[in-house]
Amino acid sequence: MEQVDVLTLREAFTRQGIMLGFNGPFSATLMEEIGKALRKHMEGLAESPSAVTDVFSAYIELSQNIRHYAASRGVSGAAAEATIIVSRDEDGRYVVSAGNVVLTEDGEGLVQRIAALAAMDKAELKAAFKTQMRAPRDPDAKTGAGLGLIDLARRASAPLQCNLKPLDDAHAFFSLRVVI
Amino acid sequence: MNDAAIGTRPRETFTGSDSRTDVNDINIAGSESTPRIRADGSAGRLEMSGDSYPENSFELFQPVLEWVGAFLDGGGTRPLAVDLQLLYLNTSSVRAMMEIFDTLQEAHERGRAVSVTWRYDRKNERVADLAGEFKEDYTFPFEIVPES
Repeated sequence: MEQVDVLTLREAFTRQGIMLGFNGPFSATLMEEIGKALRKHMEGLAESPSAVTDVFSAYIELSQNIRHYAASRGVSGAAAEATIIVSRDEDGRYVVSAGNVVLTEDGEGLVQRIAALAAMDKAELKAAFKTQMRAPRDPDAKTGAGLGLIDLARRASAPLQCNLKPLDDAHAFFSLRVVI
Repeated sequence: MNDAAIGTRPRETFTGSDSRTDVNDINIAGSESTPRIRADGSAGRLEMSGDSYPENSFELFQPVLEWVGAFLDGGGTRPLAVDLQLLYLNTSSVRAMMEIFDTLQEAHERGRAVSVTWRYDRKNERVADLAGEFKEDYTFPFEIVPES
């Protein structure tokens, strides 16, 4: 294993415009605390309430999607692992990225859904959101029932981008990038 | 066995109801990720304020949905005013709010007086966007009030 080199990590963070990043198992409480820090930081930069809401919302939906996914696959809540990054690109736009290990077939399904959403304009996304909101809910489901990805696509200023990298025969690393 | 459970209607499990068959009021303090919720049967009023992004929104809103259903059910005639100062809602909270508004809509169509007032800070357009999209789907009085 390579030795931890904090300076190299810091330089990589700086080069990629990373403001805030997390990697590892994260609980609901930790997720809330990071969200709070993110909000405070953006308010400190005097960002508009709408911008703060959009970035915060992307962070929350991505984190909760990953935690719900882990739970649905039998990984206990505390052990849900994720990589979540908030950064700014060269144009100053906020970018929220997140990734987690998924079953390859689940990842392939996600890639198809993201492609479908990326092809929609704002009006189509709004219609898709309302349709999905009214779709019958599984009485046992605790999630937003598929609304999260559509909401991310609606808040994004560019089409959602995702990546699926195979890890072994059954697993892959899925990552999603949302430009606000 | 499920048979025993079927006989137990949720409504009958309320305790301390007075003779007007009021359902129990709700008074839940808010937290970082959950709104403050107050339901007052005698005033005909439901208030929710703050952010709402818990992981399990249905658990949070189920008692509210039941309260609204019970208040508007059972041959009552008193109006219900819903006063909201909600800020950010995650998608599962949005979904739960839709179910509450749907219940209001059904009562409105039966002739019951129901209304929603959603107050927001005029600087936060996202709240207005969200409230506006809900309003499109309903015909009961739905006011979106900017405040400075």
